[in-house]
Amino acid sequence: MNRQSRALLSLLLIGVIVAVGWRSCADQEESAGEIVVSDVSTRGGTLTTSLRSEPRTFNRLVDANFPVDLFSILTGAKLIRVNRATRAIEAGLAERWTASPDNLTHTLTLRDGVQWSDGAPFSAADVVFTFQAAYDLKSQTVLASALRVNGQPLKVTAPDARTVVVTFPATFGPGIAILDHLPILPKHKLQAALDAGTFRQAMGVTTPPSELAVLGPFMLRSYLPGQRFVFDRNPRYWKKDAAGIQLPYADQVVLEIVPDQNAELVRLQAGQIDLQQQQIRPEDIATLKPAIDQGRVRLVEIGVADNPDLLFFNLRTPYWQKDPRREWILTKEFRKAISHAVDREAYANTVYLGAGVPIWGPITPGNKEWFSPNVQRYGHSLDRAREILGQLGLTNRDADEWLEDKNNAEARFTVLTYRGNSSLDRGSAVLRDALKAVGVAVDVVPLEQGTVIQRMFKGDFEAIMFFFSPTSLDPSMNPDFWLSSGSAHIWNIGQEKPATAWEKEIDDLILQMTAQADPAERKRLFDQVQGIFADNLPAIYFVAPRLQMAVSNRVGGLEPAISRPQLLWNVEKITVQGQAAR
Amino acid sequence: MGRYLIRRLGFALLLIFVVSSASLLLTRLAPGDFATDQTFGVDPAVRERLRAELGLDRPFASQYLSWLGGVVRLDFGQSWLYSRPVSTLIGERAINTAMLATAALLLATLIGVPLGVYSGTRRRGPGRWLVRAISVIGISVPPLIGSLLLVFVAARTGWFPVGGMTSSAGLDQTWAQWLADLARHLPVPALALGIPLAASLERLQSQAIESASREPFVAASRARGLERAQALWRHAWPVSLRPVLGLYGVMIGTLFSGSFVVEVVTSWPGLGRLMFDALKARDLFLVAGCAATGALFLAIGTLIADLLLAWSDPRVRAGESA
Repeated sequence: MNRQSRALLSLLLIGVIVAVGWRSCADQEESAGEIVVSDVSTRGGTLTTSLRSEPRTFNRLVDANFPVDLFSILTGAKLIRVNRATRAIEAGLAERWTASPDNLTHTLTLRDGVQWSDGAPFSAADVVFTFQAAYDLKSQTVLASALRVNGQPLKVTAPDARTVVVTFPATFGPGIAILDHLPILPKHKLQAALDAGTFRQAMGVTTPPSELAVLGPFMLRSYLPGQRFVFDRNPRYWKKDAAGIQLPYADQVVLEIVPDQNAELVRLQAGQIDLQQQQIRPEDIATLKPAIDQGRVRLVEIGVADNPDLLFFNLRTPYWQKDPRREWILTKEFRKAISHAVDREAYANTVYLGAGVPIWGPITPGNKEWFSPNVQRYGHSLDRAREILGQLGLTNRDADEWLEDKNNAEARFTVLTYRGNSSLDRGSAVLRDALKAVGVAVDVVPLEQGTVIQRMFKGDFEAIMFFFSPTSLDPSMNPDFWLSSGSAHIWNIGQEKPATAWEKEIDDLILQMTAQADPAERKRLFDQVQGIFADNLPAIYFVAPRLQMAVSNRVGGLEPAISRPQLLWNVEKITVQGQAAR
Repeated sequence: MGRYLIRRLGFALLLIFVVSSASLLLTRLAPGDFATDQTFGVDPAVRERLRAELGLDRPFASQYLSWLGGVVRLDFGQSWLYSRPVSTLIGERAINTAMLATAALLLATLIGVPLGVYSGTRRRGPGRWLVRAISVIGISVPPLIGSLLLVFVAARTGWFPVGGMTSSAGLDQTWAQWLADLARHLPVPALALGIPLAASLERLQSQAIESASREPFVAASRARGLERAQALWRHAWPVSLRPVLGLYGVMIGTLFSGSFVVEVVTSWPGLGRLMFDALKARDLFLVAGCAATGALFLAIGTLIADLLLAWSDPRVRAGESA
């Protein structure tokens, strides 16, 4: 046998070894399909999940980004909690509460015997301190505005160690649900920082875990930057389940930092993480099918998303002052023509592979409490769209395929959108094709997220297609979007006084519903708001995706909710069985 | 030699200064900024306060000069994204990248150079064509596809972890266990980085040794009675190393400054991923710090390549033109 023959034989042998190895691994995977996991609540185990980016701080009062919020959910506790699945208010650190007849004063009784993870007793002084910190002018916390009613702070006093009295400056519709924003912080650890004016720097990411006193179900054990967070169960956690078992059920939570969604998916398939932090993309479901068929992974229905993609025009009139298109591009009729031109069923099929529901406003069916099915709908009709455009003076005046107005300006506009987002990529393509069919040209410009947001704040755009998440499902807690003066009133941010009559009307109704305690009346007022919104279409909504999350079958006790974190919001009741792959 | 080293050091300092300053300027000039990204939907007063706190309300020249003043004192500023000193972050991540780069470099060298010598010294036969075909594929596959493919294979077979640098069990491990854990996590990213480099080395080495083996001094050594293999390894191979070592300089610089594609896909906490995150978030000082580190590694890589070249080729030491 010569040298070349030996080399070829060696290659063949290597090929056989690889094939056998592959086969044996495939066999192992098939046997893994026999694992049966029940949802029986059991103590112990490690829940491994992923996180795309790292927090800048561990202090939820000074940062509102998701990683900090998640850290706060894992380690923090609040006086009361809004159950994200049922929307009911649940007791937290406050075991009971009463309201005065005028709904202005709420007296909360704190649980007895609660301790911080370092053994220090929890008391009403911690609550008062947390409010002081939240409103501290030097600290400029991100929660300061969310904890105000009519621009005024709440007044918080502690008559004794177990009683907290919260006084509202005016009647506030959501009531004590406002306290769901605020994780309570340890006075004994942070008072010095607040006094020294360094509260913003306190609880930084370099703080040793032993210095972080917490009241939540888990406490930080280690943080390896760029790699992972490991949380151990807090042995002093105060909550028990109905059977009297102390929560949390899991012994440990590991947050692996995985910046790429594809890599996250592969880790889930390989059993190295138990669940993702974001909904699965429709196109990834086919990839997961083998793991689902083998019973290693399952899809959990979350509901209809509350943050659908939307299209809005720049409604600041000065921006269009010298533009010949201003006569038609700023009109609500033009926006209605767009809404008629887009086939929402086709949009759902193309963008979400069928997993989406048509919508006509910012409140989706996922927000069951506030969704109104009776708003004006713009059914798919190219004829109706052409008719409206014709009424606006847009007709085809030359040989090309586009409409022109009486000044011969082409019916064309530019849409900015986020680069690299698959649903926005496909959605903007559907929009472009739909409007092309009625003679309106759309130039889609994908940009980095920060650039789009900056141009939106500056008012330097014609139209934007993007998505954003409301801070709360209760519209009274999202005044920045609804009120014309709001910083998230995206089509015309921060108006000194309402630019249009319908915006004034919405402002008045939102203020009325915010000051109204009766839930039925609040809903009636907000239905009116949704009606005005649908009639004027400052933002056009097409389809809201149905959310699904992929979860390892090791995991039980999940209560899905549409707000982030959709599964981990109730982390204390999540159970895990068996070992994850390493 | 001393003057040569001083000249190279001066060049390295100039390179670092230019690269970091340019990256700072370009990141600042790009639309959007860190404060805007972080505060969507938040009270505008909070956004303005954050902008002032980060110095984004100051003119670029003033911000640049104060950063430069810090750099002179070896203070590279604070990362806005991580709220930690840039130098600490870079130090941590540079070690992780260095481990990965060393593994990839060793892998590329151990595979690429011998295969290059093999294919360059065979005139005929399927082996030469097979190696060449594999190399062409290795060079042609983009790092993103290569790393995704390797991650897929790791997930499918379970032979290696699909991502990360260590496992979460690492907290209670001894040093030996930690090293074994690290060794289990290295193959996927190291192969993703090493395979294209091995393929490039193979191609370069193959052509270089083919050319060197035709030199008269190789024929002369054969005429003096040396075996073919001895003549090749002792005389042709050192001479053929010149273009290969030239590539090494670039390889060291590129590998040690981190590959963001491979590091993102395999969740390796290295410099490439840090730079990517910094750019996405418009974290000015971190971008500048990462760029400066990349430039430093490139300068060091080139210097090492020059020194190796001088060591391997007597004509370079003697100052002859090759």
